Amino acid sequence: VRERAIELMQDARLIDGHNDFVLQLRILYQNRLSRVNLRELNTTHTNLVKLQAGYVGAQFWSVYVLCSAQNKDAVRLTLEQIDVVKRMCNSYEELELVMTSQGDAPSHKIIFKNVVAGGIKIACLIGIEGGHSIDSSLATLRMYYDLGVRYMTLTHSCNTPWSESSSKGIHNFYPSVTGLTAFGQEVVKEMNRLGMLIDLSHTSYSTAKAALNISKAPVIFSHSSAFSVCNHSRNVPDDILQQLKKNKGIIMVTFNADVLACGRKTVNISTLADHFDHIKKIAGSESIGIGGDYDGVERFPKGLEDVSKYPSLIEELLRRGWNETELKGVLRENFLRVFREVE
Amino acid sequence: PSLPRHNDLPWQLLWKFNNQLRLPAANLTVLNDTHTNIPKLRLGHVGAQFWSVYVPCETQNKDAVRRTLEQIDVVQRMCDLYPDTFACVTDSSGIEDAFQSGKVASLIGVEGGHSIDSSLGVLRSLYRLGARYMTLTHNCNTPWADNWLVDTDGEKPVHHGLSAFGKVRNSISCGVQEQWHWRDVVLASTGAMLGDLPLVQCSISLFVHPSIHPSIQPSIHPSLHPSVHPPTHQSICPSLSVGWHRVPTGLEDVSKYPALVAELLARNWTEEEVKGALAENLLRVFRRVEEVSGAWEAPGSALETPIAFEDLEGTCRTRYGYPNGAGTARPPPAALALALALALLLSVL
Repeated sequence: VRERAIELMQDARLIDGHNDFVLQLRILYQNRLSRVNLRELNTTHTNLVKLQAGYVGAQFWSVYVLCSAQNKDAVRLTLEQIDVVKRMCNSYEELELVMTSQGDAPSHKIIFKNVVAGGIKIACLIGIEGGHSIDSSLATLRMYYDLGVRYMTLTHSCNTPWSESSSKGIHNFYPSVTGLTAFGQEVVKEMNRLGMLIDLSHTSYSTAKAALNISKAPVIFSHSSAFSVCNHSRNVPDDILQQLKKNKGIIMVTFNADVLACGRKTVNISTLADHFDHIKKIAGSESIGIGGDYDGVERFPKGLEDVSKYPSLIEELLRRGWNETELKGVLRENFLRVFREVE
Repeated sequence: PSLPRHNDLPWQLLWKFNNQLRLPAANLTVLNDTHTNIPKLRLGHVGAQFWSVYVPCETQNKDAVRRTLEQIDVVQRMCDLYPDTFACVTDSSGIEDAFQSGKVASLIGVEGGHSIDSSLGVLRSLYRLGARYMTLTHNCNTPWADNWLVDTDGEKPVHHGLSAFGKVRNSISCGVQEQWHWRDVVLASTGAMLGDLPLVQCSISLFVHPSIHPSIQPSIHPSLHPSVHPPTHQSICPSLSVGWHRVPTGLEDVSKYPALVAELLARNWTEEEVKGALAENLLRVFRRVEEVSGAWEAPGSALETPIAFEDLEGTCRTRYGYPNGAGTARPPPAALALALALALLLSVL
């Protein structure tokens, strides 16, 4: 079964929805890429060699900045994180920044099939994590889009002046905001107009429902799992999963052990696969993708400790009777469908 | 066509309309209480314009970065809304194409280093968004460069030119033209426009300008005389914006450039010299800047020096990324709350 999993992934490399490696570059190395070798870095879950070993074909790099920067220098910090992604993807020949479902040019269409003359490339995409990065400015949102950002998570763990987070009590910003305000609706509409994916991970259920109601395009959860399996506020309840199915969007199931197992001591691949099974039952496999959240949280299921381990998940799903079409969907096709529709 | 270097229309659009270009009063074909509108640009034979994305010095250490992004956005939307008039371009060949197609090539100039909040990452981002020059200072020092007021009795010098960080910055050629290229000398910025045309200060001359107090007499500034600065080092860059009420008689708005040309011709400037001042000299410089940038080392050579945190002022910032700064990997919520509390406590001690 292991071999089948690998063959499958060789043919359909993973598009992963969320990785905070770039945050670690700031924290550990002050964004000084010249001081690190990204291929072999061993202080993080992620390095380029491991990504290749994990058959990752495309990665959304999160350009998250702390909520505590809201109303301070969040915009500058976000620009710096975007700059790091660009420099990173420019400096390593196995990385290539892309901004469309086809890659940047007709010849780049091939990147998503990962067969490029000279070797296998990993496509780099950019996602903003938290509306506080735009400082309530649609112009800033547009400029991020111009710079290549292709999704924005509407909140992180803090409310913005226009959207409500699922996290309560961590920060004290804008406590009276619920769901999406009128301006929040403008943000969603502008994202539709631009062709930027709306990411609902970290948002409150009100926010998610409001966005699902307003958005004319499919939406994503870049890194969330199933509330019915583990009732953590970061997870998505069944009614929203059903709305997501109607919306033809995608939930990129996340590996954060704390949202998977609700305090259970043992968190392993089977725990994660339970979430996949449940979501498939409620919303269909075409609504599913993968967003590991590596380097964004500390605890991962046993067997999935870093970005080289994705094949083990696919192996488990194969054992549970998932077929190849369903798995290709989970790995990449479902995401590409959503991305094209948003464009 | 002429290629004036600096126009503050975007600031007027913010000031008057909060950047809402679709308001009827903001219609650029009829707007009549600014120096610049579309009919005047046509009359003035303006072929290309650097639009200044100026934000005031009081935004320094506050929201300068966001404000600058908003001004860049308004220029782009102006090009989108008036596609028959404006063509937003980012290089010298773009300017030439626009000349050919009869549109006003529109470029972006950042006015004041405070717009980058001392961040090379932001500088690069502004370049990617289309900014093609940056005035190193406006009327305020940045943490890395002194402004022109230190050459008057107005202010004391702090950096005596550029700080170490300013010099690091200055050695980058990412294609952003700077107002000058020499180190270790007092900067001349485009300084306080006390109502007169800072034609010379905005010059692309490679000479250092001692501070030229902007009390320029109403006729042509003497330093425009060919014996002082050869015409090959001149370009036209009046700073036009309604905020500055005093412009020379006869040059009241952007339709009046031909009057300046007529005067130069009357003073025996040759056609070639005039064409130089109008456009060719700037294009030459711009192409050279592009060449230098293109010949730079391979990707991966971007400069990564952060400014020393102690050089920064203001409370509207985090220490995120600096050693002992706030910010850790995002642990689960309870631990995060504790970590934040701890960080706050430590920062207070």
